[in-house]
Amino acid sequence: MMQEAQHGASEGVNIGEIVLHHTSDGYAIDFEPFGTIEWHKWPDIHIGGLTLNLTPTKHVVFMIFAAALVLVAMWYTKRSLIKQRAHQRAPTGFAGFIEQLVLWIREDLAIANIGKNGPKYAPFLVALFFFILAMNLLGLVPWGATATGNLAVTAALALMVFLVVEIGGFMAMGAKGYLGTIFPHVEGVKGIGGVALTLFMAPIELLSKFTKPFALAVRLFGNMVAGHFVILSLIGIILLFGSWIIGGPTAIVLAAIMLLETLVAALQAYVFVLLASTFIGLMQEAHH
Amino acid sequence: MTLGMLAILLAEGGGSGPFSVNPGLIIWTWIVFLVFLFFFRKTFWVTIVSRAEEREKTIAGQLAEAERLNAEAKALLAEQQKASAEAKSAAQSLLAEARAAAEKERAHGVEKGRLEQEALLDRARRDIAAERDKALVELRREAVELALGAASKVIGQRLDAESDRKIVLDYLAKAGGNH
Repeated sequence: MMQEAQHGASEGVNIGEIVLHHTSDGYAIDFEPFGTIEWHKWPDIHIGGLTLNLTPTKHVVFMIFAAALVLVAMWYTKRSLIKQRAHQRAPTGFAGFIEQLVLWIREDLAIANIGKNGPKYAPFLVALFFFILAMNLLGLVPWGATATGNLAVTAALALMVFLVVEIGGFMAMGAKGYLGTIFPHVEGVKGIGGVALTLFMAPIELLSKFTKPFALAVRLFGNMVAGHFVILSLIGIILLFGSWIIGGPTAIVLAAIMLLETLVAALQAYVFVLLASTFIGLMQEAHH
Repeated sequence: MTLGMLAILLAEGGGSGPFSVNPGLIIWTWIVFLVFLFFFRKTFWVTIVSRAEEREKTIAGQLAEAERLNAEAKALLAEQQKASAEAKSAAQSLLAEARAAAEKERAHGVEKGRLEQEALLDRARRDIAAERDKALVELRREAVELALGAASKVIGQRLDAESDRKIVLDYLAKAGGNH
């Protein structure tokens, strides 16, 4: 009988389909069972050989939603802080938590890794942290989607970090110092050997400049997508078997995984910002 | 199941699969993030971080002030020590000078006293000698007068005073030469 039930349930359940449906981007947002909001794709734009489609996708919507959510939270924080400060009270509650979080990122990530230029980069890094955190967490709420589970989004963020790192490095070290990060001076080797070593190192240094943001993009994307694959697969198992015996324990595991994913969402936002500030800091020092 | 997923992944690789990159989305991400960053910075950053920055500025200012004061105090101390050393050496040289002057003065006084004393003694001696000579001359004259008086009495005639005196004086000189 159980085999029958299994067989019967599995007829309509395709886990791969579930997983991909919920992690992939699209031009519709599901609010099942309340319905689906769908919109039309705009025509492609061709710039040279590049085909560009600027239609806001599901992930764009959730990205804007995440940004708006952070702005609302920040607005509330600002209001509470001003009120609390007017009464000479120490910051408490949500506002106090956000204040501490912001100051912690500013001091322990930005200033600790970048140094004297840290305060200049702090707004960027703090904004990045909250932006990524909100996007990560939105994937864990019902009907939500993770924009950071899209390689294009994480690549865009990483590319931005790359530009900040390189331009910031150029500004801090000047043209000569910046060239030194591509053509490094090898200590203790002089003459032709030194020149040869420098030329030999140049491709490696250049490659390392690009692998850093690549690692950033893939790490965040991989973590978010993997977490959702696991969660959705477990949900798929529950639906697939449609029985309490298997579904019950799976649901418990699922709840644990969900908690873990909440942690991962915060952790990956932290790791992204930590690495970004480390890369910025590395480029700020003349001695690479 | 896994194979099925892979198949779907591969099939949708170019479309909307997890590993596809939609360039439009990259541009959207930049736009959304930059707008977000702009508002975040403009509106909240100052409020949230202002106090921390203020505190940092205050602490940095205080540190700089403390450092400045410390340096000032050190400079003052060095100056003070220099001045003290100078004063000490000046006092010592003054003392030595005074001691030397006193020594000189004392020696001078002693010498002067000695000289004066000697002069006094000399004068006294001279005075005494002169007085004695005078007394001696007086005495002699008296004696001569007396002797002459006595002799004239004895001879009963008045002797030529001047030549007699000469005789007596010669005699006395002879007698004086003996003692």
